[in-house]
Amino acid sequence: MKPQFLFPTWCRWLGLALFLVHLPVMHIWGIYNIHSDPKDTDMFSTGHLFFILTVVLMVSGLFLIAFSRERIEDEQIYQLRLSSLRWAIFANYAVLIIGLIFTTNKADYKDILRLNLWVPLVFFILLFRYKIFRLNRSLGKEEEYEK
Amino acid sequence: MKNNIRVERAIKNITQAELAGLIDVSRQTINTIESNKYVPSTILALKIARVFKKPVEEIFMLEEGD
Repeated sequence: MKPQFLFPTWCRWLGLALFLVHLPVMHIWGIYNIHSDPKDTDMFSTGHLFFILTVVLMVSGLFLIAFSRERIEDEQIYQLRLSSLRWAIFANYAVLIIGLIFTTNKADYKDILRLNLWVPLVFFILLFRYKIFRLNRSLGKEEEYEK
Repeated sequence: MKNNIRVERAIKNITQAELAGLIDVSRQTINTIESNKYVPSTILALKIARVFKKPVEEIFMLEEGD
């Protein structure tokens, strides 16, 4: 099979680490209630730095988890990856459309964007992992059968 | 589509894992092909046929309704 562009396998753990790091930072952000002032366009303002630390850490973490190579990346894994990705896009747009219909307060549109940041990635990761889990489980059953 | 990889494997006396290693796929893939849950690509079918030194048609057959 021709190699597809994916991150090396160890990137999954790096991604997980980044995702876990973002959680306490998010809490600190919540506790100190740091808000970015819309008028403040400085790249290094506290609000913006915290924004980068939380959102960028989370998204890059999830991205690395989602698109790192499996230990054995064969055509079946590739197919599972593709079908999970399709469902993730479906779910994302369903959430987006429902969100747009039921959001009447214009200020809440930011929340839709925030949701859009992680819904496709999280949905993809969960579905893909579940499919791989099911695949491995079928192998376990087969082994019992062969004994 | 049916296949007789399991039979061919028994003749050649290799395990699923060994066959998987020979054609660079996971054991799960061989397992799902054997139990007709996954249809391999033409490339993979040809590779499997090469391992057993037989034409593809002797390992993979069409079924009614395919």
